[in-house]
Amino acid sequence: MTEKKQLIWSFFRFIILVGIGFVIIYPLIYMISCAFRDKADMTDPTVMWIPRRLTLSIIQETIEAMDFWNTLKNTVFLNIGCSFVQVCSCSVTGYGFARFSFRGKNLLFAVVIMMILVPPQIISMPLYSLFRRFGFGDFSVNLINSMLTMYLPAITGNGIKSGLMILIFRQFFKGLPHELEDAAYIDGCSPFRTFVQIIAPNASAAFLTVFLFSVVLYWNDYYVSSTFFTNNQTVALMLKNLDTELKMRLFNSSAVELNPREQIVWKEAGCLLSITPMLIMYIFLQKHFTEGIEHSGITG
Amino acid sequence: MLKKLTYQKRKELWGYGFIGIWLAGTIIFFLIPLLQSIWWSFNKVTIDTGKSVTQWAGFSNYSYALNTDEKYLVYLRNMLFETLWKTPLILIFSLFTAVILNQNFKGRTLARAVFFLPVIIATGPVYEIISGDIGRTGNTGAGQFSTLFSTDLTGELLKFLGIYGISDDMNEIISKISGNIFGIVWSSGIQILLFLGALQNIPKSAREAALLEGADGWVYFWKITFPYVSPFILANLIFTVIDTFTNPMNTVMKRILTMRSEFKFGEASAMVWIYFGIILASIGLATAVIKKSAYYDNQE
Repeated sequence: MTEKKQLIWSFFRFIILVGIGFVIIYPLIYMISCAFRDKADMTDPTVMWIPRRLTLSIIQETIEAMDFWNTLKNTVFLNIGCSFVQVCSCSVTGYGFARFSFRGKNLLFAVVIMMILVPPQIISMPLYSLFRRFGFGDFSVNLINSMLTMYLPAITGNGIKSGLMILIFRQFFKGLPHELEDAAYIDGCSPFRTFVQIIAPNASAAFLTVFLFSVVLYWNDYYVSSTFFTNNQTVALMLKNLDTELKMRLFNSSAVELNPREQIVWKEAGCLLSITPMLIMYIFLQKHFTEGIEHSGITG
Repeated sequence: MLKKLTYQKRKELWGYGFIGIWLAGTIIFFLIPLLQSIWWSFNKVTIDTGKSVTQWAGFSNYSYALNTDEKYLVYLRNMLFETLWKTPLILIFSLFTAVILNQNFKGRTLARAVFFLPVIIATGPVYEIISGDIGRTGNTGAGQFSTLFSTDLTGELLKFLGIYGISDDMNEIISKISGNIFGIVWSSGIQILLFLGALQNIPKSAREAALLEGADGWVYFWKITFPYVSPFILANLIFTVIDTFTNPMNTVMKRILTMRSEFKFGEASAMVWIYFGIILASIGLATAVIKKSAYYDNQE
């Protein structure tokens, strides 16, 4: 009886998993299917999944329209850099909150929670005017379009979703045994050296997970970067404004009307190009994405 | 110098040292912009060569947002309504999926890799495009299957279960949910991860005891799984609500963005603060309700 029950459940589980899996995989298959077909296939009612006219020209045109290789280089530079400094600053801050007691700590930690709750949209307008004239009094520089607009907040633990990352690190460090540091302190090691040499190596899993999520968040971000960049410097911004870029670069005019159905091929090709780097990373590091969160005790 | 201070005092200073960089950054890049945004919401803001000029305007921006702007209130109402029914569905779906993914079966690693795929895509512009394109080509959610097999699958399933046409309201609700399966599945990645982490923290002894007592899957879920997971429901709820509210793709945020691009900074600030007030109130309310019921669970 139980064996039969087990079998029925296995069958249902299989159906459910395949069903939901399909909802997730479907857009990716659609992307691949669209990116390699001629635009005429979009209006051909007999074409559903398998293109009738296979072509690489759509991909090539999209690479051209997005200025893909340059944009990619820019994005990776911004992305990896910001994520790296953000992980450093957030881990140090998280450690400070986890292990030291000082006056005003609860109040300051409330600020961290506020950083999680406050939508970036609230502060983006004042931040724009801050970076537009960055400095004191009469001495100020225009940082708009400079990568410093992304780097400065990241270095000081105020980058994208920094509040959440500080919280994750704090929870993780709280879970580490005190004995780790005690031995180092007795040997006369300073707290900062203890953090770098003893704590950080023991927290490598948390570091990697937060770093990966940070990379993903910076990669996908177009809101914050669209506030500070007036030209499309990142892959996400390029994709967001692909319509105009396509018209300008392929047809040399913004007045061209593209058939919305035919436009899908370029858009899907753009999507495919933008997620490929993340997909490659995900395929190789998938374990760290999932296990890291599970074991970091983020919600504890 | 440092040596003269007591150990306690020194540790306190080190604490400030660890959070110092973050604190400086937070004042410049978070707290001051936050206050400025409040100030702007009560002022008429004009931009003069990159410098903002304010003129006190009382509550006129707020009254503009609530009374004059014909789109804002409509979007706000729709958004709140959508969050209200979508959040519970996301929570139920992600808990259900986490329970399944926590079981032992062949291909579990693959299933997990597929289910967490949205985590790396869903925060970016790619998601907006794929959900939009799927809408435009007429294949939304459950519709994906139906077009594949050229039948109305949801309708067929309901007929099969014998509940088709019981009441029009019921049909409408079910078709609304099935039409949104895509959105729900794609916004559940992190939530599934968090629940999975919670499930793995259930001690083996609890499981063994339940097995000895002869609890079946259903009883096991309600008596063991659910109480252990209930604290994580709150964390997931807060995460989901913040995620949907602060998403730059939602209509209210888009409206605010439009206002910003028209340089109506004062009005945009008022809109974003009304919105944030509602977020805080709803999170507070949900926290109060869930804390009460989670406490009740522990008492039993």
